[in-house]
Amino acid sequence: MITYIASVLTLGTIFAILALALNVRYGWTGELDISLFAFVAIGAYVSAVTTLPPSKLPLPNHYILGLSQPFLLGVAYAMIVCGLLSLLVGSIALRSLRGDHFAITTVATTLIIYAVISQNTYIFNGFAGVYGLPEPFNGMLDLGPDGYSLFYLGLCLVALLLVYLFLERLYHSPFGRALRSTREDEVASAAFGRNVYWLKLQGYAVGGVIAGMGGALLAHFLTAFNPYAWDTAEVFLLYAAIFVGGVGNQRGVLMGTVFVIVLIQEATRFLPLIPGHADAQSAIRFILIGLLIIGVLKWRPQGLLPEPRARDPRTLAPVERTAALAGGAHESS
Amino acid sequence: MHVLTAIVYILHTGAKGGGGFLNDFLLAIGFGLITASILALSTVALSLQFSVTNIPNFAHGEIMTAGAYGAWVTQSVTHNVFLAGVVACVMGGVLALFLNSAILAPFARSGAKRLVLFILTIASGLVLQHVILLIFGGANLPYSLPSSPARRIGPFILTDRSLAIIGAAVVVMVGVHLILRYTKFGKAQRAVADSRELARVSGIDSALIVRLTWLMAGAMGGLAGFVLGVSIGSLTPTLGYTFLLVVFAAAIVGGIGKPYGAMLGALLIGLAMEVSALYLPSDYKLVVAFAFLIVTLLIRPSGLFPSFQGARA
Repeated sequence: MITYIASVLTLGTIFAILALALNVRYGWTGELDISLFAFVAIGAYVSAVTTLPPSKLPLPNHYILGLSQPFLLGVAYAMIVCGLLSLLVGSIALRSLRGDHFAITTVATTLIIYAVISQNTYIFNGFAGVYGLPEPFNGMLDLGPDGYSLFYLGLCLVALLLVYLFLERLYHSPFGRALRSTREDEVASAAFGRNVYWLKLQGYAVGGVIAGMGGALLAHFLTAFNPYAWDTAEVFLLYAAIFVGGVGNQRGVLMGTVFVIVLIQEATRFLPLIPGHADAQSAIRFILIGLLIIGVLKWRPQGLLPEPRARDPRTLAPVERTAALAGGAHESS
Repeated sequence: MHVLTAIVYILHTGAKGGGGFLNDFLLAIGFGLITASILALSTVALSLQFSVTNIPNFAHGEIMTAGAYGAWVTQSVTHNVFLAGVVACVMGGVLALFLNSAILAPFARSGAKRLVLFILTIASGLVLQHVILLIFGGANLPYSLPSSPARRIGPFILTDRSLAIIGAAVVVMVGVHLILRYTKFGKAQRAVADSRELARVSGIDSALIVRLTWLMAGAMGGLAGFVLGVSIGSLTPTLGYTFLLVVFAAAIVGGIGKPYGAMLGALLIGLAMEVSALYLPSDYKLVVAFAFLIVTLLIRPSGLFPSFQGARA
């Protein structure tokens, strides 16, 4: 029982880290990123091949590297590789491609990465994936299953806390404010001398680095990783969490994560099983996610905990109303 | 056609072992034409709907899937292929109309941004896909029509079914062209695509044109899903979703919002995917399509083909 509760909480914590990562990419830069799970997967694989011994699988099954390094180095490599990959993908996708074009490019990128990783058995052993990952620190701790599951939960919570504190600082830093200004009004931000492309690229990379960290934690929690462990549609679960909680706001995103996990991920487990229908639970889960996204956008687009706005209500109210009207008419035409 | 003859000539003289490679190549071109036909049906619908409504519809794949499942159910009950095709069209059209009226139009009226509308289509697609999963389950539903004889037409070997698919695509493409160029409805569509406000000022019922466009695009999407399911030979709830990115690739290569460009984009992507399968493992077909997509977005986001005068619908 302790193991079960700890595993639910651990997955929830990792999920919260991923939601915070996506919130930097979507909530701060305003660009709809659908590729997050590609970075989670790359982070997971990189940390796996860093900690695993060299591949002894019979060819053509094989995984690259196999460095037998400690867990923390695996996490560090995962973050570095995901950061670099984010810069590469972002430099293509953000170059004059914004809005829906950006979103479609990120979907295409994800599917390319998915196709290459799952079809090529030489890089990360294709569909069979990597398995038998060492349990971090358990070599020296030597805990039983219950104790270790609690220890790993603690580890993930520490990671979440570090990410949260880092992002809170970043949010209020000049970089964070400049980045959010590009989300609000690209032209105005550029007119004030901001390099919109570079700011958004940095935001995209920060999200990628955190996603890589989440991926590493996920892989070592599961102690195995293969293409079945990441479905591109899972990213919409994260979006549901972000929309429910409040786009852009770290605390809101954490609250949305709890809400979505409790309501959708865990509650649907207790639905009566339909005999001979293995997909019913996951189908209902995704139907709820879709309806939740539509409902929140309709009735509470700012989320449960809206992002606090720094503005002067005395001067801005009438101007903003006019601007909103003009902007709305322009967008819908 | 001249280009094709030239390629055939080069391959003929260049091939070492006689006609083996050439045969494979022509076979690939034949498959490419079928893929391109299915793609064209779907892409023209997506592109036309985008040009008139200005919403990139991510639920288009699910509209295709729904059309395919509708056709499958009809055919299981009535054993009539034509009725199945009609039901696919109706299914797609009604769903697209519902998507617009129930979800998108209220948001658009209150001035929602395009990105929000795009997210709404993603969420709607997610719901629809998993409703289909809930009803029919995730297993492959075999959907095979009685096998048809293969015949040799020029250099290609095609079955009657493939010919029917290509024929249907050609008929629909010509139909779209005639509607856009010569009917009042087509003129109104082009006017709304150019500027909804100006169209309204000149007495066009923009909202009606938008609704009819969704209906038309949905019907074509449903038909495309039916044809896709038949040509693959089985249905899964992700049938349209997996195909959708290829459709977007063709639409963007042709210039999104340009129905005529969409036809060319579909032809290019369809041929490129099947011909690439000669050199690469066939699982990389999708990668080839996405490579075209990304390169187009980088070098010419408005589409690889020049705009024809007045061809923008």
